[in-house]
Amino acid sequence: MKRIAIDPISRLEGHGKITIFLNEEGAVENAYLQIPELRGFEKFVEGLPVEEIPRVVTRICGV
Amino acid sequence: MKLKIGIYWGAACGGCDVAILDTHEKLLEIADMADIYLWPIAMDFKYSDVRAMKDGYLDAVLFSGGVRNSENEEIAKLLRRKAKAMIALGACAQLGGVPGLANMYTREEVLRRVYLESESTTNEKGIMPLESSKEDGFDLELPRLYNTVKTLNQVVDVDYTIPGCPPASLQIYSALGLIADDMLPKKGSVIGAGDRALCDECARKKGEKTITRIYRTHEKLPDAETCFLEQGFICLGPATRSGCGSRCIKSWTPCRGCYGPLDDVSDQGIKMVSALASVMEPKEEKDINALLDTVVDPLRTFHRFSLASSILRRKKA
Repeated sequence: MKRIAIDPISRLEGHGKITIFLNEEGAVENAYLQIPELRGFEKFVEGLPVEEIPRVVTRICGV
Repeated sequence: MKLKIGIYWGAACGGCDVAILDTHEKLLEIADMADIYLWPIAMDFKYSDVRAMKDGYLDAVLFSGGVRNSENEEIAKLLRRKAKAMIALGACAQLGGVPGLANMYTREEVLRRVYLESESTTNEKGIMPLESSKEDGFDLELPRLYNTVKTLNQVVDVDYTIPGCPPASLQIYSALGLIADDMLPKKGSVIGAGDRALCDECARKKGEKTITRIYRTHEKLPDAETCFLEQGFICLGPATRSGCGSRCIKSWTPCRGCYGPLDDVSDQGIKMVSALASVMEPKEEKDINALLDTVVDPLRTFHRFSLASSILRRKKA
């Protein structure tokens, strides 16, 4: 089984990779999109003073 | 000779990349100055292209984002080998940035919250990201999420730093000019920023500061002209490098320190605590404690951008 990696996926905000598996005939057997990143905003905004939230969560995506 | 540069991001939001794009028509001058050999947000080069370069092939790499997982570290080390000058771009690469606040928790606490507990998560099977897994017989890999968010210089040798969250666009442009003109200062320098505290460029009026309590921004309307700190709003100006153009201050918002510490200050947050201590009116311990009780969430206030680089660094394991 042949494997093709598109890594990184480009021209988007964030990280991603695509892995494509080809069978013996060279046809696509399966393909996966994976997101290899995590920062954890869901956790570290817990308990943050509400007036500070706007300028913290704007750092989720700067695009 | 045209420069060869690479632009990359670790644990970032893309804001530094957009700050480069926000040089607007000067982007054409940057394109005259440099050829770009990696820039995931805007161009299609792959890691395999970088691996194929000989060492030292790139004149400079601008690396934004912190080092949060094994992929960030692997690519940081790869780019370090390929670059003559490694430049930390922005607060996350320099200090860990806002994502560095995850160091208040363990890796497991972060993963549990994100993939199992959050109100918007549906994950009945409790599937968690794995470094290697088998899906329908196919082998898949993911980077390892680290327990600790690291700054770029905690994993590779960094030559220069352009601070800010995000760095002001014209500051990036001027820093690139230093590279192109071979005018870079001594290794380790901060470029594309001032060398004094933000207070020195802030237009608000400063007088004698005798703070009796701290106010949250919704508790009192600040006046238009006086220093925020003098009015009792925590403003990180005294502990923060100038160069941002007072963006937040001009928007009636006290500084949170994204431009990082001044030269020879190792811990920006502690420096701010020291600055605050020097302007408090109370002299008795009881009164000092009462004032400090009005500081809400001190860790994420004083170390908003710099926890990963501070002497506190992270929650004890």
